[in-house]
Amino acid sequence: MTGRTMAKLTAAILALNLAFSAAAAAETVLRLNIVADPAMIDPITNSELVAGEVMKPMYEGFIAIGADGSVIPALATSWTTATDGKSITFRLRPGVHFHSGRLFGAKDVKYTFEEILRPGSRGGLVAPYLRNIVGATELAAGQAKELAGVRIVDPLTLEVDFVKPDVLFPIYPFQFMDSFIVAEQGPDWMTKVSAGTGPYEFVHWQRGVEVAEKANPNYWGGAPRIDGIRFLIVPSGDTALSMYEAGELDVVDVPESSYRRVLSDDRYAKELITAPRAQIRYLGMNQALYPPFKDIRVREAISLSLDRAAMIKGLYNGAAIAMNGQVTPGVPGYGADLPPLAYDPDRARKLLAEAGYPGGKGLPPIEVTSTAPFKDELTYYADQLNRVLGMPVTVKVVERATHIKAMNAGEVAFFPWGWTADYPDAMTFLGDCWYSASPYNRSRWNNADYDAVIDQARTEGDAGKRYALYHVAEKILMRDWATAPLPITTYIALHKPRVHGLAVTPFGWSSFQPVTMD
Amino acid sequence: MLRYAVRRLAGLVPTLFAVVLIVFAASRAMPGDPIGTMLSDHSADAAMAARLRAEYGLDRPLHEQLLRYIAGLLHGDFGLSYRYLHMRVASVLAEGMRVSLTLATAAVTVAVPLGVGAGVLAALRRDRWADGAATGAMIAALSVPNFAMATFLVYLFSIRLRLLPVAGWGDAGQAVLPVLVLALPAAAYIGRLTRTFMLEVLRQDYIRTARAKGLPRSTIVLVHALPNMLVPLATSIGIIFGGMLSATFVVETIFNIPGLGRLAIDSIFARDYPVITAIVLLFTVFYALINLAVDLLYAAIDPRIRQDNVREAAR
Amino acid sequence: MMLRRFLRMRKALFGVAIAVFVVLTGVAAPLLAPADYTETDLGSVWAAPSPGHLLGADKLGRDILSRLMFGARVSLVVTIAVLSVTFAIGVSAGLLAGYFGGWIDAVVMRVADIVLAFPELIFAILVAAVLGAGVVSVIVALSLAWWPGVARLTRSLVLSLRNEAFLEAAVACGTPSGKILWRHVLPNIAPALIVRASIGVGFIVMAEATLSFLGIGVQEPTPSWGGMIRDGLEGLRTDPYLALFSSTALGVTILGFNLLGDGLRDLLDPRVGEG
Repeated sequence: MTGRTMAKLTAAILALNLAFSAAAAAETVLRLNIVADPAMIDPITNSELVAGEVMKPMYEGFIAIGADGSVIPALATSWTTATDGKSITFRLRPGVHFHSGRLFGAKDVKYTFEEILRPGSRGGLVAPYLRNIVGATELAAGQAKELAGVRIVDPLTLEVDFVKPDVLFPIYPFQFMDSFIVAEQGPDWMTKVSAGTGPYEFVHWQRGVEVAEKANPNYWGGAPRIDGIRFLIVPSGDTALSMYEAGELDVVDVPESSYRRVLSDDRYAKELITAPRAQIRYLGMNQALYPPFKDIRVREAISLSLDRAAMIKGLYNGAAIAMNGQVTPGVPGYGADLPPLAYDPDRARKLLAEAGYPGGKGLPPIEVTSTAPFKDELTYYADQLNRVLGMPVTVKVVERATHIKAMNAGEVAFFPWGWTADYPDAMTFLGDCWYSASPYNRSRWNNADYDAVIDQARTEGDAGKRYALYHVAEKILMRDWATAPLPITTYIALHKPRVHGLAVTPFGWSSFQPVTMD
Repeated sequence: MLRYAVRRLAGLVPTLFAVVLIVFAASRAMPGDPIGTMLSDHSADAAMAARLRAEYGLDRPLHEQLLRYIAGLLHGDFGLSYRYLHMRVASVLAEGMRVSLTLATAAVTVAVPLGVGAGVLAALRRDRWADGAATGAMIAALSVPNFAMATFLVYLFSIRLRLLPVAGWGDAGQAVLPVLVLALPAAAYIGRLTRTFMLEVLRQDYIRTARAKGLPRSTIVLVHALPNMLVPLATSIGIIFGGMLSATFVVETIFNIPGLGRLAIDSIFARDYPVITAIVLLFTVFYALINLAVDLLYAAIDPRIRQDNVREAAR
Repeated sequence: MMLRRFLRMRKALFGVAIAVFVVLTGVAAPLLAPADYTETDLGSVWAAPSPGHLLGADKLGRDILSRLMFGARVSLVVTIAVLSVTFAIGVSAGLLAGYFGGWIDAVVMRVADIVLAFPELIFAILVAAVLGAGVVSVIVALSLAWWPGVARLTRSLVLSLRNEAFLEAAVACGTPSGKILWRHVLPNIAPALIVRASIGVGFIVMAEATLSFLGIGVQEPTPSWGGMIRDGLEGLRTDPYLALFSSTALGVTILGFNLLGDGLRDLLDPRVGEG
């Protein structure tokens, strides 16, 4: 064989090799964007929204949320609630394996609850829900070694006892983890593997770059059709969109700052998917800190002075919905027949005059306070209320942790804020934000009738009856002008035509398990 | 020479100690509560807050916190991050450091030849069209702030002409604009210096001799003129680096580059004190070392400097 | 005669023209501005230039031209404040250190070394982060970061004068130090200091804009060119007017002051080398 023939043969073999390995390595990976690094990626300390996006494909709870906001069984196939609401027995799904290969069972549920409550644990988002379990206080104080109120009846049956009735316990956003993972991988297991039951497993997290997950072929709901997901960390909306256009992202979660660009461009029309967020927004008015707020006419006047249609068009480029109450569409319990909120500056001025502040005279100066992302809204409110009512409002932007702490302490008089639904039931808004004793009732509004209805709803196991109570409560809330509801924005996302099976729900992305890519 | 070097190095230590003190004090004085940030929207939990405070050592008296911090520094340990729970600051910085170094190196690599070239051109064509254009461009590059420059460049090249990507970091195309935005002001600074030095050198006798001998222009410039300017140019490197270090804050933010600059700004808003402290310290130490190296280089070449310093120290 | 020389320098004249224009705009902003810079109009967000909004409107429908004018005012206020503070402290410290030497010199120089150890803006960013955002913190932060440079310059200028004959004569006559500094030293170093001040204007405007751009400078509703550029970047793709106009305003202003400073330097103190 001549040298030249040898060379050609070698080249051919190399080329074939490359082709094969390329084919073998051609994985289908879905690339999405997230706005920042998650703060953590384990279910025990999980407490924020970005981490939530990344964790959802890896960890599951008793239930999952369907694309329409409905509740579907996940790790719990069914449950029975005792008549007094103080105890629930769960039947868990058989044949479910963790990413480690071990079988999921009641012991893992109990383990997860105990780890969150244990002293020294930085228990996250779900810790408050667990405090109502019998024995939780003793465990958290270090007086008990285990959680007395959770009883393992058999490997797939679990009984939970509560101090006060809690009919919503099954739908809380729990994320169950493998009870043997720490023993196997050590306390920093979360930097190496994931310990959940979800359709995807953890691969790596490169700070500032991406979080990568790969398919879990043994997922109980069927193996995912794509090989993996990469969450690319892109703080700037503009950059994310550019990456999408350049083909570096398959799906882009459009941040609000880029709505205008996306909605005004026809190229995107066919690739758009939207859903109203399960997130209320409101203008908090603390009556104790600013006496004029005590007068219901002043509160109504403020609400009437806001041109919500202009806000939707100008601030959100049309990607928002005017809300008349404090429950959003897509959240079970929505649907109270509430009067639409109007923009009526004349009536607003009249009400203010009746309340004793004609033209705003006599109103003490007040700051409308919030964090940097609210800067534009704040500027609008200050300007609008000054102009329409003569109310001396100035803007104050504060940094996030300080603001949250101050709001929780009831120290902020006038502020726009919101609340994202933690679970698929209107109680997450009506109870967490507006019930008098709730620590997250930041404007400290209280109304005895309202509280009574909420108390009743908390023990009402029948969903239909419960939702009817929610309607009653919402009407009381709005009739008292507890707040001026603000428009809620819609999720906007774009997906390449080759991506199928992906949807946006009020609670975020739908499950990635059925997603396919051409 | 060695004594001079040792003396300078020794003088650096108290300065750096003061820097650590200042940065530590600043990080503790910043408004906002990191524990509150860690607890995020569910900060009504006092028990958890107390536990976190103890874990991060924030419940100790300030002087104790400072001592533990310095002790950690000597081991290369910058502590735990407040934002990325469970992570050591050193690991948070590791990835960003590589990116920032690449970016800065690329920028300097572009800036020096560009600046020297422009400066030489301007000097050789003094007071003619090319000089005016080059000098004008240099002044403009020094006057327009880097984020304004970035705005124009992005608008022209990425949006209107669609030649380059808007942002990101990963391939060569994405690096063009950020490196350019960092390099242009540095190049302009070098250019102006080069032009001045060049004009000065060109007036010297030995140049006139070389010209009289009929040597080609290029030989004169490269062999006789440039080498005499290297040292003064080298001393300007310190200033360039200082400007570039703070410029990365802006450039990395605009172009979404995962480097230390962007991380620093994010950390200020996220109240991640340990990370901010570490980045500021790293940048400052780096800057101080560069300046020291440049000073030593200058002193090695020019013995008068060392003498001056001896006289000064003895005053 | 100097004036004639100055007038022949076109670049410097161009710089003067820009500087004067900007200063006048800033001073007269309340009179010149066509609209209230706080007035929002959600129906005209990101409006293109039109008779109602000569340079267009920003993301809340506020008039860009009016905001640019008031932004000039803010830059003016910050610059004058920072220059005053920096020179008051820096020149005093430099005079004392250079003239008296000894422990004053050691202390001043040590403090200056520490501040100057930080790369350019980083010290200012740190201070601004501690003090929180706002015009006052920007002024304090920039002043703290800049005075050591002025002090060092003053000191070296004083040192170079020390051996001059007229100074030795004054000392021999028994003139009190204060009078020497005020009557003899200061007037001689004034030209170099003026040059430094004029060159410094450009830096201060740029630094203030950078801090506002990063979000730790001037806050709403006070307009700042840096903040406007930041807001404008969001809409650069679809509505570039805010970003482009404010970038132009900032760039041209700093350019003008730099040209002015260069011109003054060439005029007053050709000894001081470039850069």
